[in-house]
Amino acid sequence: MTAVIDTDRLSRRYGDVHAVDDVSISVAEHGIVGLLGRNGAGKTTLMQLLTGQDFPTGGTATVFGERPLENARVLSNVCFVKESQRYPDEFKGRHALKAASLCFPDWDAAFAAELVEEFRVPVDRPIKKMSRGQQSAVGVIVGLASRAPLTFFDEPYLGLDAVARQLFYDRLLADYAEHPRTVVLSTHLIDEVANLLEHVIVIDDGRIVIDEPADELRERGATVIGPAERVEAFVAGREVLHRERLGGTASATIAGRLTPEDRAAARADGLELAPVSLQQLVVRTTGGPALGTETDA
Amino acid sequence: MIEDGKPIFVQIAERIEDDIVDGALPDGGQAPSTNEIAAFYRINPATAGKGVNRLVDDGILVKRRGIGMFVADGARERLLARRRASFVADFVAPLLSEADALGIGPDEVAALIRESRKDTTP
Amino acid sequence: MSTVLTTTPTAPAVTPTEGTTTVDRISKVVRLHLTSTWGLLVLPWIILGSAFAITLAIWAILTASLPPEDGLAAGDGTQFNGGVLSILVYMLVAGVTAISASFPFQLGFGVTRRDFWIGTSVLFLALSAGNAVVLTLLAAIETWTNGWGFGAHMFTAVWFDAGSWLGTWFVFFAVQAYFMFTGALFGTFYMRWRMNGLVVLWIAIGVLTVGAVALLTWTQSWPALGTWFVGLGPVGVAAWSLVPSAVFAGLAWLALRRATPKN
Repeated sequence: MTAVIDTDRLSRRYGDVHAVDDVSISVAEHGIVGLLGRNGAGKTTLMQLLTGQDFPTGGTATVFGERPLENARVLSNVCFVKESQRYPDEFKGRHALKAASLCFPDWDAAFAAELVEEFRVPVDRPIKKMSRGQQSAVGVIVGLASRAPLTFFDEPYLGLDAVARQLFYDRLLADYAEHPRTVVLSTHLIDEVANLLEHVIVIDDGRIVIDEPADELRERGATVIGPAERVEAFVAGREVLHRERLGGTASATIAGRLTPEDRAAARADGLELAPVSLQQLVVRTTGGPALGTETDA
Repeated sequence: MIEDGKPIFVQIAERIEDDIVDGALPDGGQAPSTNEIAAFYRINPATAGKGVNRLVDDGILVKRRGIGMFVADGARERLLARRRASFVADFVAPLLSEADALGIGPDEVAALIRESRKDTTP
Repeated sequence: MSTVLTTTPTAPAVTPTEGTTTVDRISKVVRLHLTSTWGLLVLPWIILGSAFAITLAIWAILTASLPPEDGLAAGDGTQFNGGVLSILVYMLVAGVTAISASFPFQLGFGVTRRDFWIGTSVLFLALSAGNAVVLTLLAAIETWTNGWGFGAHMFTAVWFDAGSWLGTWFVFFAVQAYFMFTGALFGTFYMRWRMNGLVVLWIAIGVLTVGAVALLTWTQSWPALGTWFVGLGPVGVAAWSLVPSAVFAGLAWLALRRATPKN
């Protein structure tokens, strides 16, 4: 498999703030990759570096084998759907689609028209006057119908309701199946996208904390529940992400993978084992309850 | 439909096996395509493909180039044999260990099974 | 999942396409700017049209209130009409928004800074040239209709009176380009350095102006400068204005080449 994205110690500092810190990742061609993390963790900055919008202060970014900065050959193959894409003030919905048809060589106008119907976007309304959800829908349509070999969705659904989000996931999966490409999905609605992802990258404080195939990640982690001292004995020597206690009962979330022998031992010990969802794993790894709370970054 | 804590492709393979075991997918029948599985379960097509390939490697499904995936001859029999083999470990052993904890002896367990069998089958 | 479905063939994967030529990419930038024709092709003429209508109305009122022998043409005060300034000021604003709104937009759609700036400059020059043709035609009509029947001047005001139609076109062209690139300079400084950039730009302009005034005063060169300007005539001044326009374009590029599109 060819790597579409390759970074080597990529960094972006703003003064003392390390927005992206020593990031070395590699994303293979054709796949849906989740770029997860809390607001302000560096997801957007990382995508801006990969799309030549921002300048690295250290390390290198390689996209389709070349530097993305000021590189028309790379950028014409990349579509970056931002949380709040800026459009000229007088732009109506249809202007954004027209512009997209000029910019993306693989643009599918018929598909775009279909999506406009499905998302009920009033294309003759100025984008500035659309609701937040309608504006997000314009971005989602651009991202899907562009069929760019590399597409970034950066929190693409602010203001989209559950129905529209489900529609987005369904259309993304269906179109991705017919036109395989590389999709990077940045979100904090992890539960919603968990099953769509083949690979998960979690960034926290500018640093990569998880970079693994989703399947391996699913087998990782478990929550052990039972009498406190037996839980402690079981997790001794393991990486514990989180501990809670209620009277004599304790629960501990561990990061590692449990072997069948481990599981049998836990059961024999009277301990209960619960799976850890991707969202829980990310929340525990990036430490803190703020993830999942909506703030406009 | 998809549970946490277990790779999705394993769950997909198990669902297809279930369909074969209960006869919904007969020997020689065509299995759903990866894309159909992906759309149905709302999962990544590559993951669905991995589940299907697991069954191909296992000889449960056979690939016919350009047409699709089909249930191999004798697949159901093999799956049944395998499940029977693991029946004790998967179901009987946990049952007995729980019975032990509750102080229910093996004879009593057998009696209970016979009784509930009567209740559920008319 | 107990239903047995049929297999659908999978289309070939999306593969990266090769880059296009520079000309294609520049023309793409121009077309992106003109995706909505309102801001750059329609609104300027609405603004100029309104200014023109108001001017005509004033002329009509003046003509009606003045005795015939003292008509508008008698005093020839309309030679110093500034109605065309309306479109020029608008083009300055258009120069600002072409950067402040379109730069983040176009970069978001995968345009490089270099292509964006070349394309935008080409667009500015083309708009200046095209608008100048229309303004020159209006000046010609104004001459043929004897000042729209009032013997007055708007498009043939003294500033644009270059003696030839080509000269008039050139003056219209150069002065618009000057206004657009001035707007772009402010737009790019804002894009690169936000408010700080504008403050520094204003201070620089202030310092340069004061310096020039002081220099002219100390060397007692004001009369010489006046004579020089008059001697140059509209075409000469317009030709010289291309120098600051080019300098502004260069400075704008220096600001833009490291700018990041913030919202």
